[in-house]
Amino acid sequence: MKRVIRYASILALVALCLSVSTAFAQKPVLTFDHLYNNDQIVDALRLLNKAYPNLTTLESIGKTEENRDIWLFTINNPKTGKDTDKPGIYVDGTIHGNEVQATEVCLYLAYYLLNSYGEIENITKLVDNKAFYIIPIVNVDNRARFFTDPADYNYRRSAVVPFDDDHDGLADEDDIDDLDGDNEILEMRIRDPFGEYKTNPDDPRMMIRVKPGEKGEWRRLGEEGIDNDGDGQLNEDGPGYLDMNRNYGFKWQPPYVQGGAGEYPMSAKVPHAIANFVITKPNICFDFAFHNSGRLWVRGPGSKLAGMYSPQDVRVYDYLGEEAEKITPGYRYIIGSRDMYTTHGDFDEFMYSTLGIYGFVGELYSSIKETYRPYGEKEERDQQASYWGDSPEEERLKFNDRLMQGQMFKEWAKFNHPQFGEIEIGGWRKFTTRIPQPFMLNELVHRNASVVIFTASQTPEVSLELIDVKDLGNGLKRVRVRATNPNAMPSLSSKIMRENIIRKDIFKIEGVEVVSGGIIDDIPMERIEFVEHRPWMIFTNVPSFDKRDIQWIVRGSGTATVTYDGLKAINQTMKIKL
Amino acid sequence: MSRVTIAVLLPLLICLLILPTVQAADSYAYKTPEQIQQALRDLVGAHKGSAQIQSLAVTPGQRDLSLLMLGNKNGDKPAIFVIANPEADYPIASEAALVLAQKLVGDWKDKLDSYRWYILPCANPDGYANFFSKPAVNNFGNGKSVNNDNDDAFDEDGPDDVNGDGLITMMRQKHPEGEWIPVPDNPVLMKRADAEKGEVGQYRLIPEGFDNDSDGEINEDGPGGVNIGCNFPHRFQHYQPENGLWAASEAESQGILRFAFDHPEIAMIIVLGRNNTIREVPSSDNRSEAMKDKYRLPGWMARNLGIDPEQEFPMKELIEMGREFTGNPNLDEDMIMRFLGAGAAVNPDKDDLSYWTEITEQYKKFIEDAELPDKRLANPGFSSGSIAEWAYYQYGVPTFCMDFWTLPEVEKKPEEPADSTILTPEKLEKMSNDEFLALGEEKIAKFMKDNDVPSHFTPQMVMQGVKGGMMTTEKMAKMIRDGKKKKEGGGADPTEEALYSFNPDAFVSWQKYNHPTLGEVEVGGMKPYSTVLPPADKVDELISKQLPFVLTLADKLPQLDIAKVEVEKKSSGVYKIDAWIVNNGFLPNPTHQGKRCMRPVPVVATLQGDNLEFLEGKERVPIRLLEGSGGTEKVTWLIGGKDGASVSLQLAGPTFGNVVRSIALKGGTK
Repeated sequence: MKRVIRYASILALVALCLSVSTAFAQKPVLTFDHLYNNDQIVDALRLLNKAYPNLTTLESIGKTEENRDIWLFTINNPKTGKDTDKPGIYVDGTIHGNEVQATEVCLYLAYYLLNSYGEIENITKLVDNKAFYIIPIVNVDNRARFFTDPADYNYRRSAVVPFDDDHDGLADEDDIDDLDGDNEILEMRIRDPFGEYKTNPDDPRMMIRVKPGEKGEWRRLGEEGIDNDGDGQLNEDGPGYLDMNRNYGFKWQPPYVQGGAGEYPMSAKVPHAIANFVITKPNICFDFAFHNSGRLWVRGPGSKLAGMYSPQDVRVYDYLGEEAEKITPGYRYIIGSRDMYTTHGDFDEFMYSTLGIYGFVGELYSSIKETYRPYGEKEERDQQASYWGDSPEEERLKFNDRLMQGQMFKEWAKFNHPQFGEIEIGGWRKFTTRIPQPFMLNELVHRNASVVIFTASQTPEVSLELIDVKDLGNGLKRVRVRATNPNAMPSLSSKIMRENIIRKDIFKIEGVEVVSGGIIDDIPMERIEFVEHRPWMIFTNVPSFDKRDIQWIVRGSGTATVTYDGLKAINQTMKIKL
Repeated sequence: MSRVTIAVLLPLLICLLILPTVQAADSYAYKTPEQIQQALRDLVGAHKGSAQIQSLAVTPGQRDLSLLMLGNKNGDKPAIFVIANPEADYPIASEAALVLAQKLVGDWKDKLDSYRWYILPCANPDGYANFFSKPAVNNFGNGKSVNNDNDDAFDEDGPDDVNGDGLITMMRQKHPEGEWIPVPDNPVLMKRADAEKGEVGQYRLIPEGFDNDSDGEINEDGPGGVNIGCNFPHRFQHYQPENGLWAASEAESQGILRFAFDHPEIAMIIVLGRNNTIREVPSSDNRSEAMKDKYRLPGWMARNLGIDPEQEFPMKELIEMGREFTGNPNLDEDMIMRFLGAGAAVNPDKDDLSYWTEITEQYKKFIEDAELPDKRLANPGFSSGSIAEWAYYQYGVPTFCMDFWTLPEVEKKPEEPADSTILTPEKLEKMSNDEFLALGEEKIAKFMKDNDVPSHFTPQMVMQGVKGGMMTTEKMAKMIRDGKKKKEGGGADPTEEALYSFNPDAFVSWQKYNHPTLGEVEVGGMKPYSTVLPPADKVDELISKQLPFVLTLADKLPQLDIAKVEVEKKSSGVYKIDAWIVNNGFLPNPTHQGKRCMRPVPVVATLQGDNLEFLEGKERVPIRLLEGSGGTEKVTWLIGGKDGASVSLQLAGPTFGNVVRSIALKGGTK
């Protein structure tokens, strides 16, 4: 029955969109005042793909453990060139199945870019000159289950790969249990005079810690469940745990070092598929992986093993990170291993340290947004009170009452537990705490998509100009050429240059006999790094907010052709009259 | 001696000298990857009941990665996974794996009753195919195309057989940049000039080939991709194209890993190839974060706790602090290490090493009994990114690497000093410490001078050291020898030297050649693979004499049993059951490293019966680590059950099998 209703609602949505699209210049309308379940996301992508067949492709890059498709949505204008000829931006969301709104940011980005194409000049330029690779749902299996199966906001982070968490010889034998059948996992508490908590006299829904010597009232039992395997531990071996964001291949560490790492690098199907996809797109310059929560822009290094990032690359990160902080007020730009905790095998480190691609993890939202206070009162106090920046619970409960009409918190209710006897079940519901309330979603998706759009505008754009041609006599001419890049990202990261990760940019001169060639370090001082072999072909990069000057000494007359061939920037050609 | 005798004897003598070297050439019919496949198919055809083939992957070169499975398919027996030649540089290992398979369906059939065997005779078939290519090249990568020099083309500048002799060797050229000189009194060997000795480099050495893409480099981007033997996730080395972009990036390594994790019954891994961890215990001197004495807390946490972030704490203190802080009494060192991001273990666990040491002793004796040469060059123990390191450190099972042959050590006659009063290291190590001290200060001073002991050591210091136990005659002899070796250093590569003394024909003499871009060069030097190919007529014997040690290793597996069960009636319908679980095997279950990495699946004691009520103890009890040779754990239950009823105690685990005991609920009270 539920399925039928859902199906009907999707049909309604599609019908609405189609009717709207005929009315208003064939543009589909998607709204961002609610969360989309996986089927609705795929329907929306199909809709966009159908509305913009010339700008988009929708394809499956593989199957998950539960045989669901991993969808890739590509935005590229073939009229302005192949996707791999343009700087690429990779965006994904919801690698952890419970971090659902990350997917809406991906969908909104696609929707906004496409609907603004031809109307907003900046966006038209961007879509014509960049390629966007969007995987809105990474953890397809558990995002699907987060909507349909019992869960709480922290639950279903893993890939669906069995794992024996408690090392008792059985895998996944003691999961949480939806005891009261409301399809949600809430908290359990039991009356206990020795418990550490008592009811808050100001709000009976809330428990507060007892003071030393004070009589207790409640003991917190944890998430809803029973000790299914009778080992004296509750819910200690649920499905998984394999954290796909610990399963990627840069200095991957096994589970005894990094919890959730999986059996070996890319052993889970989605990381395997995504890694094998991104290596086919050497044009990718930057990646975003959206998560919740904490309101953070996180860059690597994720662990000491990754070593230090080069100062040039850090400058790129800092520039983009500080801009991102301003586009999303309240978000902090931080370094994962320094400001948070160590992670091994995460996607971002893989992209930067293995492939030399910059990237941010966007930690969307924080329950600090669930405020109930006069305008102008600062948030910092609370941000300090809790590392993750949760609002005080009494304030959140007011927010729940006054803004959400009590929909966020389920009142404590008595339940007869098969093992503990009489207990109470209640607490914050699934679509809260880490996930914004529907009315807040619109701003969240627009601000975060705007960070992606700004960053995309800062991918390398190389243009060629002639500095001069000087007759050296004896039939020899000195040709000096300049490549400029006005953007924040160099044509190749310092990481790529240092570790020789992919082919460098090639500056080539043709149509003349080349006697010598090199990179000009300093024009007034005439300092040149000469290239000993094949001087007509010079391998280098173009730095950010800067230029690269090249010199050739050639013999010949007529026209020479200079080309710039870069894997991450659009190629350029220039004719030079000698 | 008459001229005639010389005329007859000389050719004979030459023949005698030459014959063995002729046989040492690579005339043994090593099987190609395709022939290995065929051999497996033939074996399975002849032994349908007990043998199957499974393809673990298809290589980039379109070859099957074929695994042979021997033994009862449905039996709950521990399995031994034998992996051969992962680095594709050790042909005898693949042959040995096939012989092992033949033996296991023949003479050693009883070993199929005790264990299940998984044999991968050629773990890197694409790489191994290069051994058979003409000309033969040292290239161990699989068939993936890799742009090694990151220029505008893939695989555009591989080796070329410049002089058409069917071999890729080296080129030497007199050049001002040259760092090499010929080894004196040797026609082919080259050594690096030692500037400290006033030697001036003359030649540069370049691999045989052309600069096919005119970039100034020769052979910098040949065909061939990733070496499977370096593509595994423990201590994987990034940024080396032949290792792959990341660990387990290749179909072959993924296939092997997937198979291993899908087969929890694998209780031991034996790697046949160019590594050996049973002649010598693997080294324990890798550096890591995990080895530190003291640790710092992350800055934010220290600040929250009001601790100076610069302060360092010993592990013991961190565990205590952590337990208090989290309220989790089970918090252990591994959890703290994980939290601090200290990284993985990189040295064999010290408690595992005692077992390892005993195995090396037994191996020495085995080699002696088999009358095999022991004075041979050492192969490396564990290598980073190898299958073997992964197997021990991450898969957590006992892992052994076995080679079959290395070049004999060059027999250097100890130089007899003309002056017999000189105390040589050989004489020294035969002396006891007391005898040495009895020499007195004067003689010790002479001994130090004769042996070039650095002058900052005084006789008094040495004597003090020996008295205090910090120094022994044995240690001193070793230090003196090492010092001499260092001085003699700068000579030819010891392996090349050993090869030359074993078989001079393994080198091509330097021949002039006019190279199109380099000008005049000479082509010559070591033939590819010659350091890993034993004399052809010795191959079969080397295999058949050493393979039985594989069985010795297999028989070292832990053997768990229920040693004793005691039943005590506590009250009507209430019984206390004590069971002692014992490990009668040699190795612990699991290894100490296995305990750390929570592998393999534990052995579990389960008590079952009709209407049992567990008053104390749980139905399933995972057994903790049991040391070898009698390690015991007592498991106790207090149960409610019917008087006279029968309950069953089962001990089971995939790497072990199972044992069941029936227990009657009766008996008196104590």
